Amino acid sequence: MVIAALISFGILLVAWILAPSEGVEQIAEVAPESELAPVAA
Amino acid sequence: MPEIDSGDTAWILASTALVMLMTPGLALFYGGLVRRKNVLSTIMHSFFILGLVSVTWVLWGYTLAFGPDTGLGIIGGLDWLALEGVTGDPSDTYATTIPHLLFMAFQMMFAIITPALISGAFAERKRFKAFVLFAVAWATFVYAPIAHWVWSPDGWLFGLGVLDFAGGTVVHLSSGIAALVAALFIGRRTGLIQPATEPHDVPMTVLGAGLLWFGWFGFNAGSALGANGVAATAFVTTNTAAAMAAITWVTISWLHRGTPSVLGAAIGAVAGLVAITPAAGYVTPAASVLIGLGVGVLCYGAAQLRLRARVDDALDVFAVHGVGGAFGAVATGVFATTAVNAAAFEGLLRGNPNQVVLQLIAVAAVGTFSAVMTGAILFLVNLVTPIRVAGDVEETGLDLAQHGEIAYQS
Repeated sequence: MVIAALISFGILLVAWILAPSEGVEQIAEVAPESELAPVAA
Repeated sequence: MPEIDSGDTAWILASTALVMLMTPGLALFYGGLVRRKNVLSTIMHSFFILGLVSVTWVLWGYTLAFGPDTGLGIIGGLDWLALEGVTGDPSDTYATTIPHLLFMAFQMMFAIITPALISGAFAERKRFKAFVLFAVAWATFVYAPIAHWVWSPDGWLFGLGVLDFAGGTVVHLSSGIAALVAALFIGRRTGLIQPATEPHDVPMTVLGAGLLWFGWFGFNAGSALGANGVAATAFVTTNTAAAMAAITWVTISWLHRGTPSVLGAAIGAVAGLVAITPAAGYVTPAASVLIGLGVGVLCYGAAQLRLRARVDDALDVFAVHGVGGAFGAVATGVFATTAVNAAAFEGLLRGNPNQVVLQLIAVAAVGTFSAVMTGAILFLVNLVTPIRVAGDVEETGLDLAQHGEIAYQS
């Protein structure tokens, strides 16, 4: 059971490595955002 | 065999749930601080880690951190791999009045939030895949050993007599130093007029800070590992330090910038919570007032220095958690007293300057280890997949480019 559990996580780990890095190209127009916003503190 | 105490068990069950809530709280705290095009990716860092480290902790994290020592006080063995032998009966070693599984779950929540804290340093430019791989490696090769050093009875820092009630070094200093290294490694964000945080939703951040403050009662008072007087002391010192740091930060910003900053109240409270973490069950309420005052001044100054520096630690993780964690660790050596907790040691003010030296050794050891290991992990992950997204992705925003979603429709 322990080995099966470790293998199941290992499968996910391999999937993350193989998964696409950028999922989506720009699919909508995003309004430009102000770079000037309140400064913390 | 030790017997289960129902009161202790009930309190630690509740505390475990309180600490769990801190990670979604952190997601909101960080999420409000970034630009609107990156809020989902920032929240995702914390929320995904909640799942990710929950699993790695069960499989191997707990045994590496708390399992029987391998001999040098550096790391635990694999005796409890996938929680084999960890049951509903109490442990002979840890928290002997509650189920061993509950102690494991309580510690799991600490292991979850620590790598999530680091995510604030490389917000708005980190590739999600790289972050996932980094988080797995960091929780395994940085968090687990440090937790073993400080909290396992066989750990070498524990053996020296270092005091860390709830994770000033294990959680906050380690993540704060890692954040600084990560910010240096990944470089500054593009498109910023100034290297300041650019909060898109201050109420979200304040809500997150409120949830963190609430959950921190479990974090610190729960670390008494029982429903007792030490828990009550930790509860009061936690609230007092957070309150004092919040009003101190606001006062300084009021005098410095001319307005009492709402964000300052939120960030100041978190700084106070960080600093009291290693001390909570070892110091008096009066000492927690001084700790809150000190960390409010110190972390405000550190945040101002960050604004002038070239290092883009986007959400001030180093200034708050690194500096606050180190300050709290040293303050523990100053203010600790056995009058509060018989398991503590006397601090500097009780005639034991050596305790400050021990605390400094812990700060140096944990900080150095975290810095070196974090740098190595980032280097290796970068070989597998670039840590940083491409320039056009950063311009578009990570929510859309990395996750295919946007937070707000208008």
